[in-house]
Amino acid sequence: MRALWTLTLANIRSYTRDRAALFWTLAFPLIFIVMFGLIFQGGEAALNLAWVDNDGSPQSAELRTSLAAASGVSVEDFPEQDALDRMRRGEVDAVIVVPEGYGGQLAANAGSDTPGAPSVVTVYTDPSRQSLEGSVFQVLGSVLAVVNMNDRPPLVVPKPEPIQTENLSFISYFVPSMLGLSVMQVGIFAAIPLVADREKLILKRLAATPLRRWQLVGSNVLMRLLIALAQAVIIVAVGSFFFGVEITGSILLTAFFVVLGSVTFLALGYVIASFASTEDSANGMTSVVQFPMMFLSGTFFPIQAMPDALQAVARIIPLTYLADALRQVMVGGVPFATLGVCAAVLLGWLVVCFAIASRKFRWQ
Amino acid sequence: MTTAQVAADAVIRVTDLKKAYGDIRAVDGVSFEVRPGEIFGLLGPNGAGKTTTVEILEGLREPDSGEVRVLGLDVAKDADALKPRIGVSLQTAAMYPKLTVVELIDLFRSFYPKSRPTDELIEALGLGERKTAQSKELSGGQRQRLAVALALVNDPELVFLDEPTTGLDPAARRALWTLVEDLRASGTSVLLTTHYMEEAEVLCDRLAIMDHGKVLELGTVEELVSKHFKDRAVRFDTDEGLEAGQLESLPGVTSVAIDDTETLVYTRDVGATIGALLSAAEARGIEPQNLAIRRASLEDVFLKLTGRALRD
Repeated sequence: MRALWTLTLANIRSYTRDRAALFWTLAFPLIFIVMFGLIFQGGEAALNLAWVDNDGSPQSAELRTSLAAASGVSVEDFPEQDALDRMRRGEVDAVIVVPEGYGGQLAANAGSDTPGAPSVVTVYTDPSRQSLEGSVFQVLGSVLAVVNMNDRPPLVVPKPEPIQTENLSFISYFVPSMLGLSVMQVGIFAAIPLVADREKLILKRLAATPLRRWQLVGSNVLMRLLIALAQAVIIVAVGSFFFGVEITGSILLTAFFVVLGSVTFLALGYVIASFASTEDSANGMTSVVQFPMMFLSGTFFPIQAMPDALQAVARIIPLTYLADALRQVMVGGVPFATLGVCAAVLLGWLVVCFAIASRKFRWQ
Repeated sequence: MTTAQVAADAVIRVTDLKKAYGDIRAVDGVSFEVRPGEIFGLLGPNGAGKTTTVEILEGLREPDSGEVRVLGLDVAKDADALKPRIGVSLQTAAMYPKLTVVELIDLFRSFYPKSRPTDELIEALGLGERKTAQSKELSGGQRQRLAVALALVNDPELVFLDEPTTGLDPAARRALWTLVEDLRASGTSVLLTTHYMEEAEVLCDRLAIMDHGKVLELGTVEELVSKHFKDRAVRFDTDEGLEAGQLESLPGVTSVAIDDTETLVYTRDVGATIGALLSAAEARGIEPQNLAIRRASLEDVFLKLTGRALRD
């Protein structure tokens, strides 16, 4: 066990002293996040509110008018179901539902010395779009303040209702995608030092010591896992501190997919190292795997927006499922496949890559 | 010591070892023994099969046939028992480039159940001033010394050094020779491959000359030279007045070789030949220039056996 640990430590040292590796696996995804984050920040202009009036009273019409009069707000009327569907598709930013009997209750309370329970308007927002959600409640708050006329207790209160939408803010979509991408980089980039070590006969030299192959592979896996997890922490921290991406899901499940993804892509790295005979060819083959994955896995834009032929590719490659799973778990992204399917596909890739690498990988 | 005793004590015993790569018979029926505490050399040109032989002994390659026992163990079956007892320095002395000397030695120490202290190894190999240098920053000689240090971390009974001085400048080469001699002094057995004649002459207690996958000759340097060259050579600068026919008739002479600059007279009886040579020269009013007597060298043996000179 001591050898496993010292070799892992040696791997980590080598890695952190390798500027190119550090750049591709740590800095590169961060640069993307910062760049895209800045480009798309401030991109949210007018608030599109869907108005569902189940009451049809003068009071509800009055509320609609004052809301529409607020600056930077557009209000459109829809039946409730239609409004919620639009919300899910990301066509509106929030849905406000005025319940039946709103007007009557409001009138009764307003004229009474002993008012009953306040009227409730339901407000559907997407918690993963934090700043948008804030704006909706800010606008609504100022409109309701007028209706409530500083009455204590208030006559009307908003009731927030979370709803999951497809239209994650770009940065919320992007941060988990980038985490998936960098997990992939950490894994497949293992091929390059591995082939270099074989080329320089370092692997052969190690074979002449009592060190066992599982210790060699194990140290590689451990080191890459630690890097992937460190990366996850950094990416999530940057996403949430600088761009307000809220991680709504389970940390454990996120870690599970980071670990599963790392091991799968590491196995793919070993496959590359099995077929590359020189460091240069390992570099080339890594790029050949890296770039299509990067662009066809829905990292930069949703898979549904791609042509059918490319969608077929997207359905096969493992990064699609890792990024999809991470988006679902971390920010409540709309599933492309269920988490179970994502895990199964990644596991399938792991088994296939492991089988190929264990047959084809040469130590000398 | 009888042959049987040597066989029992041998730290390495190779019998009719064969290894082919496709049509190329890299090792073609090699047999030899290395005795405890000796420095045994495999001398031969590049491609002679030295490295393949050594790597089979180290357990890094599988032989096609033949018997190989190292420290009394079967290399293929008892690799786990053998590896902690041997030290290996490969032909290419590369190591993780971004790790320092100390880190690499500590790393290798962690592979073995028992090991020598890092400071002691650094001291012994003269790497003290470079201990915090990354291995990629080391000079060729320092890198070779590091490779030897890594081969010695487990205080091995037997050390394999595959061309340890190839590519080194003369000073670095001599420094490494001292290290190898220190190993012999400490009782460690060494199997060394080299294509440097001088290195083999200086270091090896016994050696095998290899070419085309076969051992051509085996023994001490003395034995090899005296077996192939019973004669001594008398040399002087070539002079028109002393022709081949006349020199061949001098007492004791077995053969004569004359080129533009040097005349070599091989003789069984140096005294008689020189006396007769000097009187013959004096009779003609000639004084042979740069007259010298020399013994045949390992290089002469090598030339005779392989028909070619060793190249760097």
